[in-house]
Amino acid sequence: MNKKVMIQVSGLSQEFETDGETIRPLQQANFSILENTFNIIYGPSGSGKSTMLNILSGLQAPTAGTVMFEGQNIYKMSRDALAHFRAHRLGVVYQTSYWVHSLNVLENVAMPLYFLGYSRRKAAKLAMLALQRVGMERYAKKSPIFLSGGEQQRIGLARALATSPLYVIADEPTGNLDTENGDKVMNLLLNCQTEFRCTIILVTHNMEYVPLADHLIHIQDGLTEELQQATALQATEEIIRDLRQRVAALARMKAKDATRP
Amino acid sequence: MQPDLKTTAHQRYTKIPSAVLLHVAWRNLINKKLRAFLTIMGIIIGIGSIFFLLSFGLGLRDLVTREVIGNQSIQSIEIESGNSKIIKLDQAGVNKVKGLAHVKRSSLTYTFPGSLKIKGSETDTIVYGIDPDYQGLTSLRLLEGRLLNDGDVKQAFMNQGALNSVGITDPKKAIGQEIQLAIPLQNVETSKKQIVDTYKVVGVIDSTSGSEIFIPRFNFEAAGVLNYSQMKVLADSGADVGTLRKQIESLGYQTSSPVDTIDQINQIFRFFNIILAGFGIIGMIVAVLGMFNTLTVALLERTKEIGLMVALGARNRDMRRLFILEAMLLSLIGAAFGVLLAFLGGLLINVLMNSLAHNRGVTEHFMLFATPFWLILAMFGFMMVVGLVVVYFPARRAGKINPIEALRRE
Repeated sequence: MNKKVMIQVSGLSQEFETDGETIRPLQQANFSILENTFNIIYGPSGSGKSTMLNILSGLQAPTAGTVMFEGQNIYKMSRDALAHFRAHRLGVVYQTSYWVHSLNVLENVAMPLYFLGYSRRKAAKLAMLALQRVGMERYAKKSPIFLSGGEQQRIGLARALATSPLYVIADEPTGNLDTENGDKVMNLLLNCQTEFRCTIILVTHNMEYVPLADHLIHIQDGLTEELQQATALQATEEIIRDLRQRVAALARMKAKDATRP
Repeated sequence: MQPDLKTTAHQRYTKIPSAVLLHVAWRNLINKKLRAFLTIMGIIIGIGSIFFLLSFGLGLRDLVTREVIGNQSIQSIEIESGNSKIIKLDQAGVNKVKGLAHVKRSSLTYTFPGSLKIKGSETDTIVYGIDPDYQGLTSLRLLEGRLLNDGDVKQAFMNQGALNSVGITDPKKAIGQEIQLAIPLQNVETSKKQIVDTYKVVGVIDSTSGSEIFIPRFNFEAAGVLNYSQMKVLADSGADVGTLRKQIESLGYQTSSPVDTIDQINQIFRFFNIILAGFGIIGMIVAVLGMFNTLTVALLERTKEIGLMVALGARNRDMRRLFILEAMLLSLIGAAFGVLLAFLGGLLINVLMNSLAHNRGVTEHFMLFATPFWLILAMFGFMMVVGLVVVYFPARRAGKINPIEALRRE
């Protein structure tokens, strides 16, 4: 089945000037993301993931190259149009949950709807639906800051889904969660793809999630490489093999050390 | 079905509804109750002290104006012939004045010094020969009895001052009394040398500025007095007073109007009020510093929140609007309570001062504080402007927050 290309990244580079030193977190990145797929951008810390995430979420214009969403260069839009694009098309889930402290859970979830011009009542209705999707509706009137990390992350996902976005971008959404809660969030993300036809972009350094992906983008030292899932799974196997070898090597080191007088 | 990206960028939903933004601003204020309370207290004290002092200044001005102008209408013009030997305020002159545009009503008065005898006591007095029109043009406050009617000839009413000078304090006792008036008619072209007659008191008015007796004008006309002492004209509106006066003066008469006196009083009090407002401004400065501090701290504390909102699709200018709204909320609440408390404080002091004055024998009730609607509006307007100036820098910074840097902050 031929899927429509939704996001086309071409020749993307980013440069910073820090203390007279030029940093290039991204160099000539190229990849495309297809409609209604689960994409994982992975790479170790410092690889340029965060920069890629910022560029994809419409917050930071690249030094060179283009990001086309449905054929339109988002960095050619006016500031207001770009803000509207963020509120309307993107749902973003962060590693740490950020909240407007003075507002309750429901109002925080309704936030992107407010930015689209919805009245409080209409926004509350849609926000409630989003909370029901993640099973957090009973916390609607509570303050989000007193909830557990897992609960906060699910509410963060509800906020990302409130406007029924086409794209859900998740930045290490399980980074601060235990496996159980992490899996719940991942399950919800998968659900977004299958049930609500969202295109998912997951940014992570955690290789565990590779099997969830339809498409993988590996970033290392500012360079990107696209992998098919089969290749990725193979890569995962390699990583597991590497890890086993490494564990074995370390065990041998310890054993050798123990035999010394 | 999702709409196309190009069309969504231009669809009608582009900004946060003000009601929603106001709600968020309000939540932000009550989220930091103590801080908001203290800031608002500062504004209450600042606005309250300015309002209190200005309302005192204006009240005092009005009190003085009332005392000096008395019951004269500001639309009225008083006309006299002055010391001119040629131009007299006679019937011909009166007709000319009556023929001018914007003359609504007029009255003619004779004024002569005379002596008053009642129950054996005698005193000097001023005698006014008036007509019912005069009573219409001058709002006289009747204490007892009635004013003069059309058919009256030998009836008179007097002021409390005249009664006091003959030792009568209760106006009720004066009604029905016979008084003898002797009015010398010197320096007047007339057949008689003086008017000596008996009048019956029908009313007492509330005025203690000297001794005054009012009798029908007819008495002077019968004695052959040809020139009136004074003509009073009521203009169609206060705006016509100026041009009408010029026209009357071009006929050779002298005019005066309560507006002249009011202008002088206003001039003095303008200066006085500036000094009072100056004292109030000191409180205001403290309030402004408090408010600036609150908004700056709020900006620092909420940099991350603002970054989040921008990342989620808020426009930078919406964040500026949010801060301006928060400052406006502080200003509005502060101004409302400041004005209210200053008003209540003024009322309280007024009651105290009145009872103090009452204990010392002052019968008249007075208002020391004036709270005209424009002053209340001006206080709100002033605080809004101050709020806007104070929030200028924090709002500008809020509008420039970079979401990436803000979210990275710890």
